[in-house]
Amino acid sequence: MSAVWTASRAAVRRRRVQTFVIFLVVLVCTATALISVALLDAARSPFQRAFDGQNGAHSVVTYDPAKVTDERLTAATTGVEASAGPFGQVIVEPQNDVGPVFSQPLTVVGRADPGGAVDRVDLWHGRWPSAAGEIVLNEPPQPDEDLSMGPLAGVTELVTNGKTLRIVGFAFTVSGSADGWVTPAQVAALHPTGTQMLYRFTGDVSTHDALAARVSGVTTGLPGDALLAAQPYLVTKEEAAAGPGVYLPFLGTFGILGLLVAVIIVGNVVSGAVVSGFRHIGVLKALGFTPRQVVAVYLTMVSVPAVAGAILGTGLGWAAVRPMLTETFRGLGFGQDAAVQPWVITVVLLGVPSLVLIAALLPALRAHRLSAAQAISAGSAPRRGRGLRVQRALSGSRLPRAVSLGLGLPFARPARTALTMASLLLGVVTVTFALGLSDSVIRISEVGEIAAGDIGVRPMRGDEQPASQRSDTEIEQMLRALPGTSQVGVGVARDLSVAGQSEPLMINFVRGDTAAMGYEQQLYEGHWMTAPDQLVLPTQLLNERGLEIGEKVTVSLQGAWTTFTIVGETVRGLPGPEGAFATWRDFPDLDPAAFFYQVQTVEGTDLGAFTQSIRAADPGLDAWDNTGGDSFSTVVTGFAAVLALLLATVAALGVLNTVALNVTERRRDLGMLKSIGMTPRQVVSMVVTSMAALGVIAGLLGIPLGLAAHRLVVPLSADAAKIRLPEYVMQVWDPATLALLAFSGVVIAVAGALIPARAAARLTIARVLHNE
Amino acid sequence: MTTETPVVRLDGVRKEYGDTVALDGVTLEIRAGEAVAVMGPSGCGKSTLLNMIAGLDKPTAGEITVHGERLDTMNETKLSLFRRHHLGMIFQFFNLLDDLSALDNVALAAQLTGSSAGTARRRALELFDELGIATRRNVYPAALSGGERQRVAVARALMNRPALLLADEPTGALDSKAGEQVMDLLLDLNQIGQTLLIVTHDERLAHRCASRLVELADGQVARESALDRV
Repeated sequence: MSAVWTASRAAVRRRRVQTFVIFLVVLVCTATALISVALLDAARSPFQRAFDGQNGAHSVVTYDPAKVTDERLTAATTGVEASAGPFGQVIVEPQNDVGPVFSQPLTVVGRADPGGAVDRVDLWHGRWPSAAGEIVLNEPPQPDEDLSMGPLAGVTELVTNGKTLRIVGFAFTVSGSADGWVTPAQVAALHPTGTQMLYRFTGDVSTHDALAARVSGVTTGLPGDALLAAQPYLVTKEEAAAGPGVYLPFLGTFGILGLLVAVIIVGNVVSGAVVSGFRHIGVLKALGFTPRQVVAVYLTMVSVPAVAGAILGTGLGWAAVRPMLTETFRGLGFGQDAAVQPWVITVVLLGVPSLVLIAALLPALRAHRLSAAQAISAGSAPRRGRGLRVQRALSGSRLPRAVSLGLGLPFARPARTALTMASLLLGVVTVTFALGLSDSVIRISEVGEIAAGDIGVRPMRGDEQPASQRSDTEIEQMLRALPGTSQVGVGVARDLSVAGQSEPLMINFVRGDTAAMGYEQQLYEGHWMTAPDQLVLPTQLLNERGLEIGEKVTVSLQGAWTTFTIVGETVRGLPGPEGAFATWRDFPDLDPAAFFYQVQTVEGTDLGAFTQSIRAADPGLDAWDNTGGDSFSTVVTGFAAVLALLLATVAALGVLNTVALNVTERRRDLGMLKSIGMTPRQVVSMVVTSMAALGVIAGLLGIPLGLAAHRLVVPLSADAAKIRLPEYVMQVWDPATLALLAFSGVVIAVAGALIPARAAARLTIARVLHNE
Repeated sequence: MTTETPVVRLDGVRKEYGDTVALDGVTLEIRAGEAVAVMGPSGCGKSTLLNMIAGLDKPTAGEITVHGERLDTMNETKLSLFRRHHLGMIFQFFNLLDDLSALDNVALAAQLTGSSAGTARRRALELFDELGIATRRNVYPAALSGGERQRVAVARALMNRPALLLADEPTGALDSKAGEQVMDLLLDLNQIGQTLLIVTHDERLAHRCASRLVELADGQVARESALDRV
């Protein structure tokens, strides 16, 4: 066995506490780093990952079956890497109520199975249609409990062209190739109007022009008018970018914070370990170790716990981040289980130990240059005191002496104190930012929830029950009369042609308590409608249409052109496709099933029982629970909580390390203080005070920085999602919260200092004082 | 100037560290005003004996009574409070805090008992005057000579007017001149009634300052004898 290895092993054994601290710090930092990097990676390209996972179609192309045969389509392969189809395709109009999600005309495709070379559809609930009369609908995956409680709960069949299709499952395509799938035989019975081909191309597919060229290539040789439509994947990708974009700044900030704290703490711990071993370095040199061997001993000594910590930390981080990412992607609607990429694991597994080695190398190189005598004296000779003026001022203060001594300790090691301070500061910033972010997200989510009402209601025909025969006014009165009802909003959505635009505009005509339920509260510009010719639009709709407050929109309404003025901008519209708000109008010819109702209940109402009471009062009504927060808020608050906790733990471990080093270095002082009558409790209070003081400063400095990060990142996220935020979403801070946050620095500091402080209190004085 | 009242009484004190027996049934009394020197070869149990009497370590068996109180039954906190009020200690390597001035090092002992900073400093200054180091009061330990450091340590030990002053090789780290000064100091203290227990290898120190010599061998009291101070 080499002398270097023997000396390293001895050093590890002799410094068990420090070795354990390095192991623990590297373990938690590695886990944090893995979560952070995996998070950054996942947030970077969620669409692409889902698209690659399903082998998504670069282009979904629809042909006219009257102009081109299936055989010719199959034979056209110019520039095609892989294809699926031909599939019969038909547009159907739902004649029964299948909820707001499927209220539009649906593209139904005949496919024998969900797999294939292109567009491997994710069948996440139920089974694939195997017989006539069965259909699977396209819907992003959601937990079973959401499915049983949400708007899809009562959806069992689709009626179209007089045919009833039983819904046997839900599947999801990231390519957006269909709204529903039936068997090829069934689609034939529905008289398909198109033939669908799904293509993956070779060559450049990064731009719309490139994709158009690829489609042009594959259709060369086909009849000129056979091509009906081609939907490039870039459209879906761009639409998706607005959704996941919300998460990027949130998650990215946490990722960067995580890495930063990990780097600082690891650097602090490792360099401290080497510096505190200077005396040992001197002894090794005196024994005849060459400077290189000394450096090797120290690097080996630090590497053993670091490598062990990095391996276990990677496993821990992987286990923690996997369910988090899966939940995130489910929330984003990409329908995939997000795996941690191998490169992430490799980078973290190699990166953290490398970081440890670099951190150890710098002080070890200093030891390399020191002579044996210098190294020994650096570790053991009486040193000149530091921060003497502060010590003097403190010793004359009225504070208990244990406290004033504790307050002076950080000045004795300014560099170490600065590093500890940095980790504490980052800890406080993280906690502050996480709290602000969670509060803001909850507020955003609450606005949606409040506005959506606790309970959604719609007249709906069940399997054995006809839809409600009550008029909309009677239903509203019935809902208002139910015990537990606080507010009721009534709405009807109409797709209306817009003068000068090809795309219709959906307008929700509302009455009752709709404004008071939260929609008015989320206005951040303009005002709620006060006249029948006024509109309020959600930001996303305004942006998409390029409209502004004050502009006029002319629509075809009840057979006449009617002009509305946009008077307000709101965060969100009603559940479902984004639409404008207008005041109520009577639509005498409208099917009662077109009306929907939102009920806000009195606080504390049992929503399950309330939903049952609606169904009992009128079995022709379907009612569902709208509460529970959206996946957006769940994911962000979940990530915020987990990473804030991890980073606070890492910061506390940084403190623990600093105190452990201080206690080791000051054993003689501690022994002397105990010998002249300092009680164990006073020793604990002195040591804890030394860190609590830093915690207070970190609290005072960290809070403004955390507030600034919140003020910067939340609007950035909103911009990415193409929404703006009402100011009250940002006003999450109150004096009590800030006071609590100021306390967080102290809590982290005390939590980290307590264990080594207690160890200091238990030091055996006799050994400490007589072994010098 | 001794009285019959024992300040220290050890009865059958035994201390084991694993398989090693450091003290083996030591029985000893030190009366108020006495100056007792404990000597013996390395490993005979001198430091262990001093630790037991100072309440820095607990015996495996036997009773230790100091200033009328049983130390062997006290918990850590009570021992700390006892040391604070009734014992003073001087160490071979001084054990001063590098970050505090000489004056603050000494005042610290009184501040731990609850004295205000002003009161503690006034008392410390009196001691600095008495010990002849008043001009060095604002100097930090790193700038003091060995003898000066030990005088500061003595001043700190005397701050709370202890019933017993314990000295562990007080001249061991000093040159001969500084050692002489410390010996004179200890002798003076004993002559004004301070009870002393000195653990040392230095026969000159023992014969100069102590009135009684306790010799230890293999953890037992091998011999006790009265000394005529030189």
